[in-house]
Amino acid sequence: MTRKRRFRERLIYRLAILPALSLITLVALVPLSLLVLASLRDQTTGEATIRYYVETATNAFFLRTLGTTVLISTGVTAVSIVLALPLAYLLARHTRLRNILLPVITVPRMLPFVVIGYAMILLLAPITGVANRVLLAIGILDQPAFILFDWPGQALAFAYTGIVVATAVLTGVMMSVDPQLEEAAVSLGASRLRSFFLVTLPLCVPGLIAASALIFTSIFTSYSIPVMLNGRVPYMISVIISANLLTLQQPHLAYAQAVIVAVIAIGVTILAQRFLLRFGDRGGHQS
Amino acid sequence: MGRWTVLGLLGKAVLILYLVIMVVWLVFPVALVLLASFQGRLEVGIAPEQFNLEAYRAIPNSYWEAFWFTVQTAIIATVAALLLAVPAAWAMVRGRVRGRRLITNLVLIPDVVPQLILGIALLTVFIPLHLSNSFPGVLIALAALSLAMGLRFSEALLEGLPEEYEQAAISLGASKFTAFRLIVLPLIVPGVAIAALFIFMQNLIAFELLLFVSGPRATPIAIRLFTDIVDRGVLPYAIAMAGILVYVAIAFYAVVALTLGPKYMTGSVMSRKG
Repeated sequence: MTRKRRFRERLIYRLAILPALSLITLVALVPLSLLVLASLRDQTTGEATIRYYVETATNAFFLRTLGTTVLISTGVTAVSIVLALPLAYLLARHTRLRNILLPVITVPRMLPFVVIGYAMILLLAPITGVANRVLLAIGILDQPAFILFDWPGQALAFAYTGIVVATAVLTGVMMSVDPQLEEAAVSLGASRLRSFFLVTLPLCVPGLIAASALIFTSIFTSYSIPVMLNGRVPYMISVIISANLLTLQQPHLAYAQAVIVAVIAIGVTILAQRFLLRFGDRGGHQS
Repeated sequence: MGRWTVLGLLGKAVLILYLVIMVVWLVFPVALVLLASFQGRLEVGIAPEQFNLEAYRAIPNSYWEAFWFTVQTAIIATVAALLLAVPAAWAMVRGRVRGRRLITNLVLIPDVVPQLILGIALLTVFIPLHLSNSFPGVLIALAALSLAMGLRFSEALLEGLPEEYEQAAISLGASKFTAFRLIVLPLIVPGVAIAALFIFMQNLIAFELLLFVSGPRATPIAIRLFTDIVDRGVLPYAIAMAGILVYVAIAFYAVVALTLGPKYMTGSVMSRKG
C-alpha cells in the first residue's frame, strides 16, 4: 500500500518534470549539440575535421577582432561598474531617492537594444545630433565630432546599457548589506568614505562580480549595436560570425567561431558563479 | 563639527554634480526618442510649433504587423513556458527528485548560453525542418528562453512557500496532486503572474536570439527596426515605433511598481541580456 503510493508519488513528480525537460532538450540541447557536431564536420564532404577551428585559430583577423571585442567588453564593463557604484550606493541607502529614480533605471532595461541605438543616433549624429549641436552652439567644438559611426559611439551605447544593468543589480546587492555595519565603522571613528571602502565595498564583491559577468557577456555577444553604430573595423566578433554564416557562405566556419565565443561567454559566467559560491557567504544574499 | 567643513561642502557638491550627470545620462535616450517621435524629424528641437503626431500617423502597416506578431509570440511563449515550468519546479522543489541539480542546470541552458549562439544553433535545426522564418520557429525560440526564466522564478517562489501547508492537506487525506492544485497553486498565482509579466517583457525585447530564425515572413518589431535602420537609415516613423516601445516599457514599470511596490525592481531578479 505505502509502497504503491510512494511509487505513484514518484510517478507524478516525474510526469511533472518531463514536459519541461523534453522541451529544453528539443529546443536547446539538441540544437547546441548539433551546432558543435557541425562545426567538427567538413562543409562539403561531411567528413570529420577540426580544420575550421585550426582556420579560426590561425586567422589573424579573427584573433585581432576577438582581442578588440574582449578589450571593449572588459573596458566598458569596468567603466560601467565604477560609474554605477556610487549611484547604486546612494539608491540603496536613500529610500526616497530610490523610489524617484527606479523608473529611470528600470524602463531602459525593458527596451530593445535597438531603441538605445536610435537614441544614440539622435544624440551623437554628426550634423543633426543633439550633442554636436549643443557643443557647437556653446563653442566647445569648432566642427562636428564624428564619433558616432566609429568605436567610441558604440562604446558609449554599451556603456549606457552597462550602467543601467550595473546600477540595478548593485542597488539590490548594496541594499542587502546591513547599514548598521557602516554605522558601527563610523561610530568607531571612520569617515563615511572610509567605511564605504573598508566595510561596504568588500561585502559587495560577489555582487560586483555577478554584475560584471552579466554585463561582459551581454556586450561580448551583442549584435545590434555594433552593426547599427559601427559598420566598420574594428568589428565586434558577432559581426564576423554572422557575415560568415549569412553572406560568405561558410556556415561551418561560423559554427566553429560561434562555439569558441560561446565557450568564452559561458566560461566567464561559470567562473563568476564559482567565485560567488566560494565567497558569496561573506556578503549579503543576492536576491 | 566636521559636517560643514569646506571639504565636506566640496564633497557634497561633487556628489550632487555626479548624481545630476548620471540621471541625465540615464534619462536621455528615453527622453530623446520620445521628443523626436513627436517631431517627425531627426533634428530635435524644443520649439512648441515643431510638435506634431505625423510620425505616429506615418507608421506603416508592416510595423504594426511586426508589433502584434511580437506581442502574440511573446504571450503564447510565456503562457506555454509557465504551464510547463510551474509543475516542473514543484516536482523539483518538493519531490527531491534524483539529479535535481543536473536538471536545473539543463533547463537553465538557454539562460546561460549567449542568445546569439542559441539563435545560430536553432537556425541549423530549423532550416531542414522549414521552421526558420515562420511563426512557430520564433515561438519555439522564445519558449526556450521563457522556460528557463519561468523555472528560475517558480523554483524561487516554491522554495519560499512552507511545505507544512501541503503536509497539512495531505495528512487530512488529500493526494499530492490535490494538495498542489488546491493549496500550492492559489498561493503562488500572484507571484506567477508577476513572473509572467517579466518573461513577457524579455520575449518582447529578445533580439539576438531571433536574429537568425526570423525573416521577412516572421519579423519581431525589434528586428524590423534594426533592419530598417541598416537598409534605409533613421526614419521618423521608426522613431515613433521606438516611442511606442518606450510606452510599453513604462506601462510595464507602472504595473509592477503598483502591484509590488518599487523595491522589487532592483537586484538580479531579471537578467537582462542585450
